[in-house]
Amino acid sequence: MLSTINQRIGLILFIIAAIYLYLSFQLPNYPYAPIDADVIPKGLGVLMLILSAALFFSKVIETEAEKAKRNIPKKELLVLLAVFAMIFLYILLFEAIGFIIMTAVFIFFSSWFLGYTKWKTNIIVSILFPLGMYAIFVFALGISLPKGILPI
Amino acid sequence: MSAFDGMITGFQVALSWEGILFVLIGVIVGTLIGMMPGLGPISAIAIMIPITYGMDPAPALVMMAGVYYGAVFGGSTSSILLNAPGISGTVATAFDGYPMAQQGKAGKALAIAAIASFFGGTVSVIMLMLLAPALSSVAISFGPPAYFALMLMGLTAISSLSEGSTIKAMISAVAGVMVVTIGIDPQTGTQRFTFGNINLLDGFDFLIIALGLFALAEVCMLVLNRKNRSLSDDQKLGSLKVTRADLKEMSGPMTRQSFVGFILGVLPGAGATIASFISYIFEKRISKNPEEFGKGSIKGLAAPESSNNAATSGAFVPLLSLGIPGSGTTAVMLGAFLVLGVQPGPLLMSDRPEIFWGIIASMYLGNIFLLVLNLPLIPYLAKILSIPRPLLISLVIMFSLIGVYSISFNVFDLYMLLVFGALGFAMRVFSFPAPPFILAFILGGMMEQAFRQSMTISNGNLAIFVNSPLPLSLILIAFLSLVIPGLLKWRSRRKLAKM
Repeated sequence: MLSTINQRIGLILFIIAAIYLYLSFQLPNYPYAPIDADVIPKGLGVLMLILSAALFFSKVIETEAEKAKRNIPKKELLVLLAVFAMIFLYILLFEAIGFIIMTAVFIFFSSWFLGYTKWKTNIIVSILFPLGMYAIFVFALGISLPKGILPI
Repeated sequence: MSAFDGMITGFQVALSWEGILFVLIGVIVGTLIGMMPGLGPISAIAIMIPITYGMDPAPALVMMAGVYYGAVFGGSTSSILLNAPGISGTVATAFDGYPMAQQGKAGKALAIAAIASFFGGTVSVIMLMLLAPALSSVAISFGPPAYFALMLMGLTAISSLSEGSTIKAMISAVAGVMVVTIGIDPQTGTQRFTFGNINLLDGFDFLIIALGLFALAEVCMLVLNRKNRSLSDDQKLGSLKVTRADLKEMSGPMTRQSFVGFILGVLPGAGATIASFISYIFEKRISKNPEEFGKGSIKGLAAPESSNNAATSGAFVPLLSLGIPGSGTTAVMLGAFLVLGVQPGPLLMSDRPEIFWGIIASMYLGNIFLLVLNLPLIPYLAKILSIPRPLLISLVIMFSLIGVYSISFNVFDLYMLLVFGALGFAMRVFSFPAPPFILAFILGGMMEQAFRQSMTISNGNLAIFVNSPLPLSLILIAFLSLVIPGLLKWRSRRKLAKM
């Protein structure tokens, strides 16, 4: 039944479209508009249902290049997941700890994690980049970035 | 205001010290980001948008335009040196540029690419200067139905011209519009799909989508390819010298393909990538010795390079005069306009002549800067290709995070950036094109508004879209652009079956 990747994606999209369509039917009415806020979403939901069904039943065979793109080694996926986890931690902490410290820590560790071995250059970039960005944004553009625990 | 007066206004903006400075910054940053394999012009523009906060709109937009055509200019460098196109618009550049580099003529290839780019860019700006005001004065009479039809045509064109499956491209476009519907409906104030979350009331800022779907997703691809070679220190570029005979050889393709590129740039959906491929095939077809193509032919290098740069300026025609972007990249450019409080469209030329003409005039200047920068400085600029991938990845991630944080100072938006980054990566892995998504996201809100305005005018009668010739023909084109490629495929399959 779900033999090809397109069928699997088609099914997932169909479910998403159905949920979206269901939610658009729950939208409240506004009596004074000729075209209410729910018209476009309903249309989009139906369109997505049709397109996902078309993808499900399409007989287009995946090209070799497309297959190759999909074929990612498990280990590399874990590396990506780790990078996302690092970004997540950064977002979680950077308002409390501060832009400069968190950015320096992030750049150093993610570059090191991804295989950058020249640790001296790495330290220099990790320190200079956040200082430079902080100077540009806070002093030149007037956009404040979180100070965090640093006094400046 | 005549075009002549307009250009005088434009050059006053472009040649002021601010104008010159920001054109220069724009083209340098564009060239550098464009050179990096994996980072395209959409990421380049999106990364630079936060820098423009609080700037005067005219110099800011002059800079953003410079980032765009600078990126297309710079993309050729990595195509030639590494056979790894900096952007998709320069894939065809590698066909003959890389063989030339392998023959030890990298310097010459870079110089030819620079000259062809300059030529294409400049010819195209001249045509932009002539066509954009004319189109503006026609478009001023367009009503909401025509606008809706135009945008619909833009979306169907980009879907049918996208690489790979048309169904997937259409799904991508519909998903883009679906994401816009999240938030408060501007006409009735109804909350749509917000699940009571106050962070969703205003919907998603386009920068979250652009940086997530492009910059962050491109970073993911870079992570997977981080061990690909970067430029080694000992790679010799060779002489940059271009002889008179070379110039003569490239003059034909350069002239022809500048026009082809411009036209394809103006049309919705096509843009630099398709233009460069069509120009390459075009020149190969008419060439007396097509067997030279792919082995380091000067013609094969000059054709796509003049074409992709011409397409870039061409793409500004619908953006400036209609306010409707025709590609993913110009969609993000439109976002840059809106961030600065400038609404491009038929009124831009009369309301904000300094912006309309300033951008056009700055492109002449930008192309000269690019030529001057690229010819003597290319060996030094190319050094950026030796930035270690892990460091590059970390820095681009930081640029994206800072960019999103500086719009709203809201951490929620950063998590959403992460979500769209993951979505963009998944789309790349499963071969769903991302440009239709961003174009649909930018056009979606405008389309809904135009649709509902039309329906208000007609009292809910859908016939308003087919009663007058312009919307009707645009909708027909939109429909045909989806159906014809399918029919052609079906016919060729039947032919194959008969054989």
